[in-house]
Amino acid sequence: MRVLIVDDEKLARDRLRELLNDIGGYTVVGEAMNGAEAVERTGELNPDVLLMDIRMPGMDGLEAAMHLMGMENPPAVIFTTAYDQHALDAFDVNAVDYLLKPIRKDRLAKALSKAHKLTMKQITEINQARPEPAERTHISVHLRGNIRLVPVPDILFFLADSKYVVVRTPTEEHLIEDSLVNLEKEFGDRFLRIHRNALVATGYIKGIEKSPAGTWQISLKNLDKKLDVSRRHTAQVRRWARNRPMSA
Amino acid sequence: MEIADKTRPWIDRLKVYGRNLEQRLGRKMPSVETPPNGQSEFLPNFCAGEVVFNVVVVAEMLAIVINLIIPRNFISATPLQDLLLLSIFIQWVALAGTAVLCYTRKHLNRLPNLRALGMAYLLLLLTTFTVSECTILLLWAVGRLRTPFPEWYTSFHILNLTISAIINGLLLRLFLAKHELQSRTLSEARARLQALQSRIRPHFVFNSMNIIASLTRSAPEKAEAAIEDMADLFRMMLSQDETLVPVKNEIDVANKYLALEALRLDNRLIVNWDVGKFPRKAVMPVLTLQPLLENAIRYGIEELPAGGTIDVRLWEDNDQIHIQVSNPLPKTKSKQAKSTPGQSLGNIRQRFQSHYGEQATLTSTEDNGRFTVTVVLPTRGGNP
Repeated sequence: MRVLIVDDEKLARDRLRELLNDIGGYTVVGEAMNGAEAVERTGELNPDVLLMDIRMPGMDGLEAAMHLMGMENPPAVIFTTAYDQHALDAFDVNAVDYLLKPIRKDRLAKALSKAHKLTMKQITEINQARPEPAERTHISVHLRGNIRLVPVPDILFFLADSKYVVVRTPTEEHLIEDSLVNLEKEFGDRFLRIHRNALVATGYIKGIEKSPAGTWQISLKNLDKKLDVSRRHTAQVRRWARNRPMSA
Repeated sequence: MEIADKTRPWIDRLKVYGRNLEQRLGRKMPSVETPPNGQSEFLPNFCAGEVVFNVVVVAEMLAIVINLIIPRNFISATPLQDLLLLSIFIQWVALAGTAVLCYTRKHLNRLPNLRALGMAYLLLLLTTFTVSECTILLLWAVGRLRTPFPEWYTSFHILNLTISAIINGLLLRLFLAKHELQSRTLSEARARLQALQSRIRPHFVFNSMNIIASLTRSAPEKAEAAIEDMADLFRMMLSQDETLVPVKNEIDVANKYLALEALRLDNRLIVNWDVGKFPRKAVMPVLTLQPLLENAIRYGIEELPAGGTIDVRLWEDNDQIHIQVSNPLPKTKSKQAKSTPGQSLGNIRQRFQSHYGEQATLTSTEDNGRFTVTVVLPTRGGNP
């Protein structure tokens, strides 16, 4: 069985490696230091199981699991954690396997022997159980079976397009399967709804101007494109413009 | 008859007093055990068997006392008969009051404390009045009185109610004091627990143990040193007393802590020390520096995949110790870090306050991606 070890502490990774060695029958195919790396490595190395810490800098373990669950054939995930009371309670409720640090060999062996795949629902529920449910730091984009992670701060806008949502960064455009309603719910403090089909990152708004046709349009930093503000959302956009911080 | 009337309400009130005293004693355990949302119920349970029993006993004792001080042949022919009549009246008032509070407690406890208190007070007065009135009516019904409005009717009620009002007032005052004491004890206990938890962060403890477990194989000497550091650190953290220690000792403790964190964070953690000269008498509360460093690691280094540098500066100037700790901040605050570093400094600030009052300051600034905490303490220590 191929195992990927994910932890930001080197000695913690070493320990898992040694314990796996003792147990035998498992190959460590690689290591990752945070969630984003874990997602990348999973795409490259195709492990069967991930042993993943929850608290990591950048992208944490739960978010990484969320992205992985979107894969066609996701690996099984066993979480390792030192102490995270809310998450542990949620794990128990959702029957998700986790190991407490310091990690015991027999517990590890048992967890690996029955390693099973998680579902998106389980992970979402665990995330919700935390004192402050996390919003994703990245959006995962699936490209020919591979995962690409797009950092949320890089995103200019989301544009709904019949079946898909277009994710636009200064340089690229991706399609994801999600709904604007969900995205707005999750990233509401960062994005502004300007149209039934568009969410714009407030940080990238350069100005609001009136088009010759009399409708309002939003111009963006870093991209030469104007987005229409729908009649229904005009009031909301103008309210935002009035209250925007001076630095913007 | 006048005096008997006077004494009766007296008795009632005392009874109520006693009853509440009982409740207070009887209720103590449950109220401490079940702080539902951190707030114990304001009015105790008046329906508990033990409470009712106590009320009866105290009421009876009062009846005996009053029977001893009223003149003979005042109510009836024999002392025993006096006692019987007194007891009946007193028990009646006492139990009626208990029953009223028993049935209204649920509703009263839903009110704000002061209003619940006021309502209970009014209810007890009403009970006194009702029972007095019933007594007269009863005496009239059995033919002992010729009219339901004897010449002492008004003074009977006025006396009963006045005495009832005074004694109830005293009683509720005591009640309030007891409640305050209880909630203060509770919040103190909670604060102490919180202080302990803020000193020992479980995340740090278990991660460190995991690291030590890893080291026992690869580098036993390092594991040994780590356990020694951890033991020293724990000794400090678990000690109850908030003593003042020389600056040098505090730096030693901080270094032990940093040694453990360095094992965990590996090359992600770099600490630059800049320690000035300190007079021998310079002291600070034990565990002043360590929480500041922990804060810097938790919200700075731990959140940065590549780690960073913590700058620590300590210097003495103008009879004041200056401590400055600064750490890099992650660009986008990740979810766990949403509680900003500033908030977690509250505990530390509180400790300084209890040691030094207004003489110590803790300020924090965020500038250019770095978070800096500056602490200024009097060199000689404050009044612990």
